[in-house]
Amino acid sequence: MYTFGRLTALFFVFVVLIQLGCVVREVVVTPTPDPADASEPAEPSATETTAAQEPTPEPSKPEETPLPQEERIYQLGITADLTTTNYWAYLGPDGTMWNQYVLTGTKPTLYSYSDQRFDWIPSLAADFPSPLIEEVVGEETLWSTEVDLKQGVKWNDGTDVTADDFVFTAHTANELQLTGNWPSIVDPEFFDHAEALDPYKLKIFFKKKPGLARWQFGLAFMPIFSKAYWEPVVTEAMKAGDSTEQQKLLYAHVPQSEPSAGGFQFDRWEQGAYAEKDRNDDFYFRDSLVTQYANGAYSESKPGVYEYFAYGEPGEEKSLEYTVGPHFESAIYSIYGSQDAAVLALKKGDIDFMLNPLGLSKGLQEQMQGQDGLSTIENPSSGVRYLGFNFRRPPMDNKAFRQAVATLIDKEFITETVLQGVAIPVYTMVPEGNKAWHNANVPMIGQGLSRGDRVAEAVSLLKGAGFTWEKEPRVSEDGNFIEQQGEGLKMPNGEPVPEMSLIAPSAGYDPLRSTFAIWIERWMNEMGIPLRADLTGFNLIVEKVFNTQDFDMWILGWGLSIFPDYLEAFFHSRHSDLEEYNPGGYNNPEFDRLSDELLAETDLESAQQQVFRLQEFLADELPYVVLFTTPIVETFRSDRIEFPYTESLGGLQEAAGLPTIVHIK
Amino acid sequence: MIGYLIRRMWQMALTLLLILTVTFLLVQAQPGDYASFYVLDPDLPTEVKEQMRATFGLDRPLWQQYLIHMRNTFTGNFGVSFGHFPRPVMEVLLERLPRTLVLFVTATGASFYIGFLLGKAIAWRRGGFLEYAATISGTTLFTVFTPAFALMMIWVFAFKLGWFPVGKFLDPLVWRGSDVTANSVFSLMLITALAFAVFAFWVLFALKRKGNTGMKRLSIPIILVAALAIPLVWALSGIGTLALDILKHMVLPIVTLTLISFAGTMLLTRNSMLETIREDYVMAARAKGLPEKQVRDRHAARNALLPVVTSLIYSLIFAIDGSVIVESVFSWPGTGMTLLEAVRSEDMPLVMGAIVFIGLFSLLAHVIVDILYVYLDPRIRYQ
Repeated sequence: MYTFGRLTALFFVFVVLIQLGCVVREVVVTPTPDPADASEPAEPSATETTAAQEPTPEPSKPEETPLPQEERIYQLGITADLTTTNYWAYLGPDGTMWNQYVLTGTKPTLYSYSDQRFDWIPSLAADFPSPLIEEVVGEETLWSTEVDLKQGVKWNDGTDVTADDFVFTAHTANELQLTGNWPSIVDPEFFDHAEALDPYKLKIFFKKKPGLARWQFGLAFMPIFSKAYWEPVVTEAMKAGDSTEQQKLLYAHVPQSEPSAGGFQFDRWEQGAYAEKDRNDDFYFRDSLVTQYANGAYSESKPGVYEYFAYGEPGEEKSLEYTVGPHFESAIYSIYGSQDAAVLALKKGDIDFMLNPLGLSKGLQEQMQGQDGLSTIENPSSGVRYLGFNFRRPPMDNKAFRQAVATLIDKEFITETVLQGVAIPVYTMVPEGNKAWHNANVPMIGQGLSRGDRVAEAVSLLKGAGFTWEKEPRVSEDGNFIEQQGEGLKMPNGEPVPEMSLIAPSAGYDPLRSTFAIWIERWMNEMGIPLRADLTGFNLIVEKVFNTQDFDMWILGWGLSIFPDYLEAFFHSRHSDLEEYNPGGYNNPEFDRLSDELLAETDLESAQQQVFRLQEFLADELPYVVLFTTPIVETFRSDRIEFPYTESLGGLQEAAGLPTIVHIK
Repeated sequence: MIGYLIRRMWQMALTLLLILTVTFLLVQAQPGDYASFYVLDPDLPTEVKEQMRATFGLDRPLWQQYLIHMRNTFTGNFGVSFGHFPRPVMEVLLERLPRTLVLFVTATGASFYIGFLLGKAIAWRRGGFLEYAATISGTTLFTVFTPAFALMMIWVFAFKLGWFPVGKFLDPLVWRGSDVTANSVFSLMLITALAFAVFAFWVLFALKRKGNTGMKRLSIPIILVAALAIPLVWALSGIGTLALDILKHMVLPIVTLTLISFAGTMLLTRNSMLETIREDYVMAARAKGLPEKQVRDRHAARNALLPVVTSLIYSLIFAIDGSVIVESVFSWPGTGMTLLEAVRSEDMPLVMGAIVFIGLFSLLAHVIVDILYVYLDPRIRYQ
């Protein structure tokens, strides 16, 4: 007892002395850089822009500043830690956005998307692949294609990136039956094998004819691993028992100095604190000039190295032009415990940009208003929230009923009046920002109608399909409200419409979807449709909808890929079993046929027409009533960094903050 | 005593079994499972999802999962984390533990020391300005909404005044280029603090046994010299800058934690002191003419210390749990944040591992307190 107080006091003396000692040492011996100094704005900008205010991006090629390269560090904030630095694991069971933000940019791919427009363009490939042909190999009939690779693309250990690297990667994924995202990249149902005809010529064999989703937007986007580095690891893993054990061994490997052929070389992960990747000085595409033209043409050139044109002859007007970097030495990803902490760091100048898949929350957006040196941008997100129906239960299987429901939902009223513009009404499953695949001419049921017109239209639709009321809903003379609520709605077979429930996320999880659910409940009940909104936890909705299919209607959302093959996954009748993606059980042979054609399509232009047709079909059939999307709002330090463009589907976070092309001022 | 300890060990084992079972059932009662994360990827074939379930052992019946879990726990293997696949749970927890310990043990020590000093002082001079000021400010801070207060502290001292960093436990610009990991620095800091505490104890007790007043007076200078030598050694080690960077990041969370928690110890000490100062031996000490300070510190405060030490031991043990709120606000990725992330992502092995870890330590804390009681209060005897 005697020593308790004294020892505690001594402990604190010790702590203070350590601090003092180290302060002295820091000041005298090794001065460390102060992040605030490093990010000191040269000329703070007071302007703040939003998507609405922002002019169409002009072609820009920011000037190089005289700052020495080693001083330039792109500092980004993320709000969750990585879970792995192993790229196999990241595409497997560790497929988080946070891993993606940090790890992308180190592996080459045969093809990639162009910025903003999402054109399909060659990357490691020298040009587009040869057309798919059917050929007999041994006793099998396979489909094959050939791809020429660019020569001179190197790993940063000095060796060439060759066709063998691609073959090794694809075969490893296939033979180890890698899970997670791997099967959607190397689909074992389609991929047979690949051969390196020579170091720069690749031949890929498929078991059956692959459509765009499996080849051009699947395998062609596969990140390619260095065979020289990974072959011993994979060989060792393959000695383990079953594929599960093999995968564990592969995923457990912690890469050290893994060769990179991307813009960056992964450097360090200090768990819970930060990750850092360094510029790859041998990056083949560094200093390439990329130009996109208003007429749709695309060009890439690196003087004396390569030149590439696609999608027509370049016109006069350029829509985007930039030089590929990286234009700085390192990218540091600082890990914060919450978005609030990251926002404070952004405001203070500790970081240049904050990566978050949901963008800034509404409260934090307001905090950013009027901040010197910061710019705010707004982009549509690459996802939609929808209302789904269970087709196994009447009256949801009735098209007129679904159309009546869609007519009654005033998306514009909820998004603009109730939610004050934090959501954007949507009418098709392909968001508007997905320029290549969005059909702007889909039927927009109910758009622009007044409440009275909506009710009249819905009554007309239901009556036309044989529905009857004991007491029909009646609108007031001015058409603004329901004067008489509908009662006793009966289905065409004379049976009363049963009590139905609409399960939707609670306000704590997503206030936007819960608001929609509450208003839908109100509008349906006004019509005499007995609907109750059950706001509940996300996991419970997933359980009821996907695992047990015990529901009437539900509201959830999807994050969507650029190539919309998800239309087949969500609505084809073959996906209507438990734990499949068509839990509503929508079943339309015509849609099945059209979506099968899309999956088998190998021509981009034909596929686009098919996707347009599918969108029109769904907007009329309404297995989903697509409700809204949300804008992604992001803020960056415009006094420190400059992006070649800021308009992009899903925001700049979708492109991981554009590390290979951003400029540090 | 030995018999008592054996009985306590049995009770601990049974309690642990109960904790494990209840935790397992609670986690299982949540709708969905980790594989739901993959169910919502439309590009995945069913067989791949099944394989994912098999990989995580989620394809087995519940009772089998329970038995596997129990077997793993009692063999010291908490399994593999789903969220950090395929890293073992124990590895993830041990990685986070030093950070939590350094922060929370220091903060707990600070809040107890301040709380004890203030509690002692306000109990001795009741009705004075100090009592009102300390009680009102202490209870206000004790009941303040922690996240808001922590954010306010960051906003004032880190953002507006710029005295401290905005959260995190290190500055990447200081650490980049070094080969040392933060965890090794944290561990070295813990070892240094422990070594210093042991040394100080040894010096105090060794010199006390000599019985010579002159030698006793030497104890403080010796300890101070040791305390001064430590930063010197750190500075020469080449990682002093890194340790300093961590210390710089610790200041604001420690101040915040101390401010919001010292009142508990202060009021506990005050109440305990108020009881002891009424005891006959305190009156006897005064009657002997001993100085007030000696009566307060050696006769009243020492006897009032018992409940405070008990509370301190529990707090130190529960420091491994960290604090979800403080760790989140200060971006301090310790065990608290790990537990929160694991619950959110339904990383069941990690949730179970963290809870078992905390459960084990809390059971251990009870035993330690029981044993400590015997030494602190010779009147206590266990049958």
